[in-house]
Amino acid sequence: MSRYTLTVAVLSALVLALAILSLAAGPAGIGVMQGLSDMLHGRETIAATIIGQIRLPRMILALLIGGTLGLSGAALQGLVRNPLADPGVLGISGCGALGAVLVFYTGLSAVWAPALPLAALSGAGLATLLLLALTRGGTLVLVLAGAALGSMSAALLALTLNLVPSPYASYEIMHWLMGSLSRASLHDVLIATPGLLIGSVLLFSTGRSLDALTLGEDVAQTMGFPLRAVQWRVVLGTALAVGSGVAVAGGIGFVGLVMPHLLRPLAGARPSRLLLPSALGGAALLLAADLFVRLPVSGAELQLGVVTSLIGTPVFFWQVWRLRGRPV
Amino acid sequence: MILQTDTISLTLQGNRLLNDIALDVRPGEVLGLIGPNGAGKSTLLRIMAGLLRPETGRVLLDGQDLFTMPPEERGRHLAYLPQEAPAAIGMSVRDVAMLGRLPHRRTASAEQNETAVQQALDAVGMSAFADRSSARLSGGERARVLLARALAVQAPILLADEPVAALDPAQALTVMDLFGQYATQGQAVAVVLHDLALAARFCTRIAVLSQGRLVSIGTPAKVLTDALFAEVYGVAVRRCGEVAVPWSLVSSARRP
Repeated sequence: MSRYTLTVAVLSALVLALAILSLAAGPAGIGVMQGLSDMLHGRETIAATIIGQIRLPRMILALLIGGTLGLSGAALQGLVRNPLADPGVLGISGCGALGAVLVFYTGLSAVWAPALPLAALSGAGLATLLLLALTRGGTLVLVLAGAALGSMSAALLALTLNLVPSPYASYEIMHWLMGSLSRASLHDVLIATPGLLIGSVLLFSTGRSLDALTLGEDVAQTMGFPLRAVQWRVVLGTALAVGSGVAVAGGIGFVGLVMPHLLRPLAGARPSRLLLPSALGGAALLLAADLFVRLPVSGAELQLGVVTSLIGTPVFFWQVWRLRGRPV
Repeated sequence: MILQTDTISLTLQGNRLLNDIALDVRPGEVLGLIGPNGAGKSTLLRIMAGLLRPETGRVLLDGQDLFTMPPEERGRHLAYLPQEAPAAIGMSVRDVAMLGRLPHRRTASAEQNETAVQQALDAVGMSAFADRSSARLSGGERARVLLARALAVQAPILLADEPVAALDPAQALTVMDLFGQYATQGQAVAVVLHDLALAARFCTRIAVLSQGRLVSIGTPAKVLTDALFAEVYGVAVRRCGEVAVPWSLVSSARRP
């Protein structure tokens, strides 16, 4: 068995185990199998309600959002050939969150539910497009543009919070901005899943193009992989995946930065070989982080986005440390 | 296959880069593209590779317009080796060469791909390093791996932009010899060169560009005359047998 196959197999098993654990973990002592069986047979028991309404949506969203975040990080890193690319670091998630908050703030989302994910993915898409326009400037310009986008979205989000009429609404927005799955519902699953899945398909389809791109745009183009085609798939894929994720779970950062970094030594340097392991790793990381925040460590439940950021920032520092002294 | 430029011209940002260039690269030959810096050699090669569209004129591959051909098919017919390659990203030498088989992903078997890659690595003398990370290679070794990638395409047309610029004399001779062998197998090679001695020795024909115009094309003996060196490069040459060695400037005032 090759190292790649072994990596994928181990990660798949890990994701499966964490998904089951995610269904089993919770304050209410109920049987998972009993709950699932009740739910599938339409029996309205307490176990069925807890599994179907609370734990299953939470597990599905952690799995899908974590997976697409890991995947989009790997695809973005392959596209711009830069290990610092990540939807969170580059401000893509922030701009998605800004789009969602604006719709929430104006009350549009209450009138028409799809407005929220659509606004989030428009924000994420615009940010990705702007970043791509700037990639030709090299690493420094890309990271600075990401920082600028992140700061801009943070400032406009703060302004929105500032102007929100009731403290209750601002608390709602704050809570959601920190990134959380604690209130995930079946409705959220329905809103987010199409974008998450279509985005993933688009991102997975870029594998060979990303491999060709390692030889530079010109060679890739002469081999039949025009840069524009792969750029569009990554932009649309990232916008759909990150936007849909942000719409229901808020800003969850660094998963896309951490996973490719951890898995590159195992999966190899070919960008196509990094996509599936990063997706599985991202799913495992978010499932694990979501289990962790449910542990009764302190009185208050930790926010998921806070935990992933705490895990991710050391990796970010490490990447910057490795890049020091290199010409930008 | 014959690659033909049908009186192509190109103007970019008000600068006339190429002016009515008509030439062809035929099976079995190594066509050298020479000329002073800024003559338009690399631009011409990029147009021949389908990377740039000419303003007027066409590029024809066996009579078919290169720019209307499906990209994947074009990728199987043309291999392009650019002057500057991006920094190696840590793939193994074999994986880098295997990238040359991407245009064949729907048409070739895994064994065919393995064979092509093995042949290419053998040709450039990198088989022993097949499993080494490309990040840990010298400049010359990296150039050879990238050449192996281009050879692995097994395209009827090979276009190389200054492939020996970063190589020492021994490696430069090896690489030029490889192009000769490639052509002997019935493939067509066009190569941009600055080294006139290598051009004279290894090219079947030479096309001389100056200020975007095709000044002369033909066999090295016919093209590389003292008058041409003086006119195009502004240098007087000294002859060592067949080979002309740039020796002194004709007039320093001529050169920009």
